[in-house]
Amino acid sequence: MSFIITCPICGPRNAYEFGFGGEDKGPRPDEEALSPGDWCDYVHMNQCVAGVAREWWIHRSGCGVWFTTSRDTTRNLEVQVETMEKGPNPPLEKE
Amino acid sequence: MKKEIIRRSPVAFNMRPVKEERRGHWVVALEYENEGDGPHLVDLSHCIRWDLQDSDPNGDRGKWKPLGIPVPEQPGGCIIKNGVMINRMNNTQAAIWHLSGEEAEMPPETAYTDVTDATAFLALTGEKTFAIAEKLTALDLSDLDGTPPFLIQGPFVHVPCQIVVMANGAEQPGILLTCSRGYAHDMVAAILEAGKAFNLRPAGEAAFKRWLEQLK
Repeated sequence: MSFIITCPICGPRNAYEFGFGGEDKGPRPDEEALSPGDWCDYVHMNQCVAGVAREWWIHRSGCGVWFTTSRDTTRNLEVQVETMEKGPNPPLEKE
Repeated sequence: MKKEIIRRSPVAFNMRPVKEERRGHWVVALEYENEGDGPHLVDLSHCIRWDLQDSDPNGDRGKWKPLGIPVPEQPGGCIIKNGVMINRMNNTQAAIWHLSGEEAEMPPETAYTDVTDATAFLALTGEKTFAIAEKLTALDLSDLDGTPPFLIQGPFVHVPCQIVVMANGAEQPGILLTCSRGYAHDMVAAILEAGKAFNLRPAGEAAFKRWLEQLK
């Protein structure tokens, strides 16, 4: 099932034109004092949010730009998020 | 013995041109039989095309001026000057197409790459251009809000293409499109099939130049 994604350059397009780039986990962690475990979590672990998630997408069949957008994973629809709420998903909570 | 270099277009129509000429290492089709008044499909793959990539093509206040022409500031923007078109693809990349078909020497900076042999370059011109395109893409090329020329990037015949809408008026609309070289054969077959009902014919470079001239 397809849906619409809004490319910041080309505008709203069919999701089939895009490639999924994973969850937005924020900036790459500082390598000083970075433990292998923390690095492994950053690279491999995902939140898998049932709800609104911030994600990376690439407009592969179009302008080729990478961008982040918000998607409601329960409805598989792009959703507009207020500017203040934009940003990467919160870091994983450690047990 | 020195071997002659021959550059071949990836596009082949199912007929021989009645007029052709050698230009550089290319054989350029100038005219085909029974071209009619259009719509026309023209192979422009011999036209030199460069890619310009930089972290900011408008950086240093106009650092990049290929052949003295400034790169459009916004993605989607196009400029045509002296037979050269520059279209801005995204924040870091612009394409430079030599519509005149003449040879040109690439600027020495490493930001430029000659991509002439990497892509197929086609022109679809004439009254029924958008009726044909409508059968091949979901993109709205006849977007009347846009002022031609403008660039749209997206699938055409399911192939990622750079499409420049040159004119979207009712009389002589037309588009230029490039796609990866390997798709050329099937791209041409699909366009000609879609254009059958509109009497779409292959045409030579001369027909394209006449059409380009009347746009001015």
